[in-house]
Amino acid sequence: MEVDREDGRSQNQLRPLACSRNILHRAHGSASWSQGDTKVLAAVYGPKAGTKKNENPEKACIEVIWKPKTGQIGKPEKEYEMILKRTLESVCILTVNPNTTTSIIVQVVNDDGALLPSAINAACMALVDAGIPMKHLAVAICCCVAKSGYVILDPTKLEEQKMKAFAYLVFPNSVHSVLPEGSLRVEGEPIENGIITSVTHVDDYFYCLERGRAASVKLSDFLRRNLQQQSTDSSKAG
Amino acid sequence: MDARLANTWRLTLNEKNFIKTALLSEIRIDGRKPFEFRNISINFGREDGSAEVQLGQTRVMGIVTAKFVQPYRDRPNEGTLTIYPEFSPMADPSFEAGRSGESAVELGRIIDRGLRESRAVDTESLCIVAGKLVWAIRIDILILDNGGNLVDAANIAALAALMTFRTPECSLGGEDGQEVIIHPPEMRDPLPLILHHLPIAITFGFFIDENIVVIDPIHNEEAVMAGRMIATVNANGDICAIQKAGEGVSQRVIMQCLQLAITKAADITKQIKAAVEAYNSERALQKIKRETTCVGNSVKGDQNQTLDNKGISELVGKYMERLKLISVESYASQNINAEEIKSLRRGTDSNCIKFNSTPLSWDPYSKGVDLECLKASVASQGLSTASEEKEASGQEKGSEAESACPYEDVNSKWSAVDASTTEMHVIGPKTLKDAVKPKNKRKKKVSSMI
Repeated sequence: MEVDREDGRSQNQLRPLACSRNILHRAHGSASWSQGDTKVLAAVYGPKAGTKKNENPEKACIEVIWKPKTGQIGKPEKEYEMILKRTLESVCILTVNPNTTTSIIVQVVNDDGALLPSAINAACMALVDAGIPMKHLAVAICCCVAKSGYVILDPTKLEEQKMKAFAYLVFPNSVHSVLPEGSLRVEGEPIENGIITSVTHVDDYFYCLERGRAASVKLSDFLRRNLQQQSTDSSKAG
Repeated sequence: MDARLANTWRLTLNEKNFIKTALLSEIRIDGRKPFEFRNISINFGREDGSAEVQLGQTRVMGIVTAKFVQPYRDRPNEGTLTIYPEFSPMADPSFEAGRSGESAVELGRIIDRGLRESRAVDTESLCIVAGKLVWAIRIDILILDNGGNLVDAANIAALAALMTFRTPECSLGGEDGQEVIIHPPEMRDPLPLILHHLPIAITFGFFIDENIVVIDPIHNEEAVMAGRMIATVNANGDICAIQKAGEGVSQRVIMQCLQLAITKAADITKQIKAAVEAYNSERALQKIKRETTCVGNSVKGDQNQTLDNKGISELVGKYMERLKLISVESYASQNINAEEIKSLRRGTDSNCIKFNSTPLSWDPYSKGVDLECLKASVASQGLSTASEEKEASGQEKGSEAESACPYEDVNSKWSAVDASTTEMHVIGPKTLKDAVKPKNKRKKKVSSMI
């Protein structure tokens, strides 16, 4: 079903992506991620000594601080912090540095839809920049279900407000085999860290999942290229 | 508690001694002379009233918003201006989330004194209905990276944001003439704030030996210095505010510093004005383009290969405006060529994808060709506005802001691009409208902060 989106994109089309790492000087790792007009800045400090009170000292602890663009910190910000923390805890290898805390600070620079997925992507890139050990990259996508049943990816703020349900999906990045038999793509299991709001039919959710997974392959290609390029740059400098 | 102390950043004794000894020979550790300011670059965000300033390694963002409130009883026809500094924990390992410490309060007060108490911002023009409704301007100052001298950078960010902020136009109407009608930005242009003068804060650092004074200290020097003076002056030579703390300093030194501050302030004022000018002209240009496109509205256009170079370069210019930031930079001294080419390349990458908007029949080689010819055409035109991602400005560490060009289209309709920009159907003979090369805007931007 062909759908006319306001900015002329098709259903499965993402907005232009841009990512840069190592932009802050004091932070151990930093990244900026933008999808269209949505822009998020993430910084990582860590690992620092000690864990928080109720956390398990046998493992590393992740602390997330979410800073909105303006205004007071309220319940929505706390919710974002919790979701981001859980997602990143499942991505990072927590047993490598026990009894330490890694702080991730997320600053919203501009919100034009798909804010949480952008934040997850930015945080992941910042963790890579800081050198925190991770199992794989987290690739986040936002899918929306409209009232008439069609699914679109990466909505803008206006589109989000018109949708009846949305799902943020986080996938592990696609795996490239290094065996000479060519690049086999291994489909990973999606990490069920999405928020699903009033999706009325289970089929809709599975449909979102499918679309999201396909798009995540492309996103992880982008991440891979981005990371590879920058790592070759630094090797030239060093 | 122990963990927190362990994590604070402290300068070693060796480093401290080194800084002091070097200063005795008038050498600073970042290579500047004692009275040299770092490079300032000012970038603006998507919406009106948001600015990001980079002062060497220090990075500060200023955001201005406005809303309606009731005025104070003793000032019924004046609007209000409040400053909210936020020392984000991303800026420094010792900054904590939650309530900021005394340095944040001090920073807020200094900027407040400079802007509000010196009457730089005209608060009477913010009144809508005397005694009932006025604009309350809120300035959020977000410290993103602490490279020293936060006050100066925050001040410049606040000024830049104020100068580019627009309030929607309001008029009184309704039956009793008391109803306030807010005009949306499409109907009537939003209004800028009135600023009488630009107060600039200049920070001086004093060291144990009285003769050593530095301007614009970096965070290492701040940990070593014995005293500090922040003078808020404007380009007319008026001293708006002075804040002095630490070691006692003789009067002669203070007077010298104030003289110096006035000269530096003139410089910085020029830079800020230039950056704002450039931003305003971009904005006006965009607005004109938007209005000419109102008639022929969007449709995902067909792939158009018949654009001439001039059209492409104009489009490149326009598209780069629409790229996440409208980055307008004022360079003090920078390698402009390298940066420009980098940004153009980025812009052209995305631009290329835009042209190839029919996904399935995508030719991988045409992208390369387009890139070359675009680069050549743009370089020859000499684009004046190098729109760059703010991260790419003034970076030494080799970070590159890159636009994604996921160019593979396997399944269906994937091109990470703003396909809305394909309003360039040049079908048949070219008209005057085509010379203008209107950009298709994604949607009308309604200023969301009211």
